Amino acid sequence: MPFVITHWINLAAMVVLIITGFLIHFPVPISMGIARGLHVFCGIVIFINCLVRCIMAFFVKSAPTGGTRETVKDYKTWLPQEDNRHQGPAWVKYYTFVKKDHPLGAKLGVPQKLSYLLIPILILLMFISGLCLWAPTASSGFCQWCLGLVGGAMSMRVIHYFGMYVFIIFMFIHVHLATAEGSEPVKLMFLHKEHGGLVYDPDKHVIVGEDKMEH
Amino acid sequence: MRKANGLIGANWRSEMVSNCAGATLNRLLGNGNEPEKKGEPMSEKTAFSLPDALEARGVTRRSFLEFCGALAVAAGLSYSAAPRVANALEESVIGAKEGNLFPVLWIEGASCTGCTESFAQIETPDAGKVVLELISLNYSDVLSAGAGHSLELAKKQTIENGNYVVVYEGGITQGFESNTLRVAMETGENILVEAAEHAAAVIALGSCAVNGGWMAAYPNPANATGVSAILAKHGIATPVVNLPGCPANPEWLMSVMVQVLMLGGAEALVAGDVPAVVSTLGLDDQAKPKGIYGQTIHDNCERRPHFENGEFVYEFGSKEEELGYCLYPLGCKGPQTKANCGVTMWNNRRSWCIQAGSPCIGCCEANPNDPGDNWVEVNTPFYKRDRDLHIGSTFFRPTAVAAGITILAGAAILIHRFGMKKAGRMDGGADFELVREWDAKNPDRAIGQYEYSVLGDPVKMKAAQEEIAKQYEAAEETAEAAAEDEGR
Repeated sequence: MPFVITHWINLAAMVVLIITGFLIHFPVPISMGIARGLHVFCGIVIFINCLVRCIMAFFVKSAPTGGTRETVKDYKTWLPQEDNRHQGPAWVKYYTFVKKDHPLGAKLGVPQKLSYLLIPILILLMFISGLCLWAPTASSGFCQWCLGLVGGAMSMRVIHYFGMYVFIIFMFIHVHLATAEGSEPVKLMFLHKEHGGLVYDPDKHVIVGEDKMEH
Repeated sequence: MRKANGLIGANWRSEMVSNCAGATLNRLLGNGNEPEKKGEPMSEKTAFSLPDALEARGVTRRSFLEFCGALAVAAGLSYSAAPRVANALEESVIGAKEGNLFPVLWIEGASCTGCTESFAQIETPDAGKVVLELISLNYSDVLSAGAGHSLELAKKQTIENGNYVVVYEGGITQGFESNTLRVAMETGENILVEAAEHAAAVIALGSCAVNGGWMAAYPNPANATGVSAILAKHGIATPVVNLPGCPANPEWLMSVMVQVLMLGGAEALVAGDVPAVVSTLGLDDQAKPKGIYGQTIHDNCERRPHFENGEFVYEFGSKEEELGYCLYPLGCKGPQTKANCGVTMWNNRRSWCIQAGSPCIGCCEANPNDPGDNWVEVNTPFYKRDRDLHIGSTFFRPTAVAAGITILAGAAILIHRFGMKKAGRMDGGADFELVREWDAKNPDRAIGQYEYSVLGDPVKMKAAQEEIAKQYEAAEETAEAAAEDEGR
C-alpha cells in the first residue's frame, strides 16, 4: 500500500511539473506566478517522495513476483537479482517481436528494472539542476560548482529541459507496457487490487503453479 | 583627442614629450609642479587637493556627493555610504590630496575599445574627470595623447617601478602563436604577461578580458581566452579582478577603485596580500565583486512585477510592449545573468537596456575558468528563450530536437502497441518460455531449476493449482480459528 501512495504522488507531481515547466518555458498570460510556485513545490515533493520510496524499499515488503501472496523486502526485487541474469537479450528480442514466447523472470524484467533504477537518478539530476536554476539556492557553493561543471546557467537550463523530455518518453513507454498485457498491473498500482496468475518461484527461478485468487 | 586629454592627463617625462599636447595640458592643469627626480624615470604624476580640483572645474560639493552616492550604489552599498565614499576619494592613495598617484596602465588586448569608449562617455559633470585625474594613467592605447615610442617607454618605466594596477581590456588571442594581435612588435599575450607580472593587480575589464568574450564563441579560430587563464598558464600569481560586461559599466570600474581606496585595498595590493584583496573587494570565487555580480538582472528588474503577474511582450511593436510588460518571452536573459545593471543603470544612471525596451542579452555572462561559457556562445540567438546547440558545425534548436525525438518515440510506441495487439499479447501477454534461452544453451550453468517447473505439463499444473488453493484454504481456516479464539 505505501508504494501505491508514492506512485500516485509521483504521477501527480510529474504531470504538474511537466505542465508548469512548459508554462515557464512558453509563458502564457497570467500563469507565471502560479506555475513557478507549483513547479518548485512539486519539485521538492517529488524529490522527497523519491527519497522516501528508496528508503522504504529496504523496510517495506512487497510481492517478489506476480501471482503470489508471499512478500519480501522490496529492494530485493528492485535491484538486479539472479532471475535477471542472461535475460537482457531475451527481453530485447521479445519486445522487438523476434522472440515469440514471454521470457521467464521475476516481477521486473531486465529493461523494466534498468528504467526503474534510472528514474531515481533522473529525479535526482532534475532536482539538482532545478536547484541550480532556482534563485534562493543557485548561489550556494554546491550549485555554483555544478553550474561551472556544465558551463553556466543556460546549459543547466537546457539539461533540465531535456531531462523533462526523457521523463515524457519514459511515461509513454511505462504506460504502454504497463497496460499492454492487461489491466492487472494498473489496478494493482493505483487501487492496490491484487490479481492472481502463474506463481513464479524466485528461488527456483521457474513457474511452480497458478493462483486463481478464488479465495 | 582634446576630450581624452581632459579626461586623462597622459603623463610621462615632460622633456621626452615636450611637443605633446598631453604634457602641455598637464602644465595647464597645474600638474607642472612635479618633483624633479634626477636620473630616475618618473612613473607617477602628482595631485592637487580635491576640493581645489573640484572647484576649478565648477563641480559643487553637492554634485560630487551625488556622484559618490551613485558610486556607493554601484559598489553594492547603500546610498547613505556616499560620505564615506567622498571621504575615501579625498583621503586615499589614489585620491591623494597631494603627492603621488597610483599608476594605472590601461592596456588593450583583442578589443573593440568599447569599454574605453563607455568609460570615456561617463557624463557625471566633471566629477568623473576629477576621479580619473586622481589616478595616474600612464598608458592607454586609446586615450593617451602620446603615441609610439614615447608611450611605450612610459609603460616600460611604470612596469620597472612597480606598484601599479593594470586595466586590461579585450581578449587574449593565443591562436597562430599569439600573433593574431601584435602591438609595438610584441604579441598581445606577451604584453599582458609582462605588465601583469609586476603589477599589484590586474582588472580584467569587459567580458573579453574575463574569458575571451564573443571571440571565444564557436568556432574560436583565434583561440581567445581571458586574463586569469593566461596568468595561470604563465604561473603569475598577481590578483585579478573580473568585471565582465559588453561593455563593462564604467561605474563598476569606478566602484572597484573606490572600494580599494575605502577599505585599505591599496595597501593590500601593494603588499601583494591576495586574500586581503579578495576580502576587501568582496570577490566571489570567479574574482568578480559580489556587490556588482551577486544577483541577477531579473532580481532587480523594474519589469519584474509584470513577470510575476504573467504580463508579457510576445512581439516587438505590440500593445504589450507599449505597456512596458516583461520581455521574458522575447528571450530576455535577465533570469540567468548576474549583474546589477538595473541598480547602477547606464549613461549617468539615465536608463538601461530593459528600460529602453530591449531584452537583456546577457553580456555579463563570463566564466573566467571556461572560455566556452561566454555570453555569445550561451546566449545566442538573443531573442530566443534558449541557446542554439551544435554538433560540429551543425546548429539546431533544443526544443525542435527534444520535441522531435519525443514525438518519434511516441509514434514508435504506438506502432509497438499495434504490434503487441497483432502478436496477440494484449490479453495477458505471450505464453511463458518453458526454458530460458540462455539456460537451454548452457544447461550446466542454468539459472532455473526446471524439475520444479509446471509449465507445459497440464497434469503437474493442475496438481499445483489445487495444492495452492488448499494451502490458502488451510491458512484461512487457521486465521478464522484464531479470530474465534480471540473472540472468546
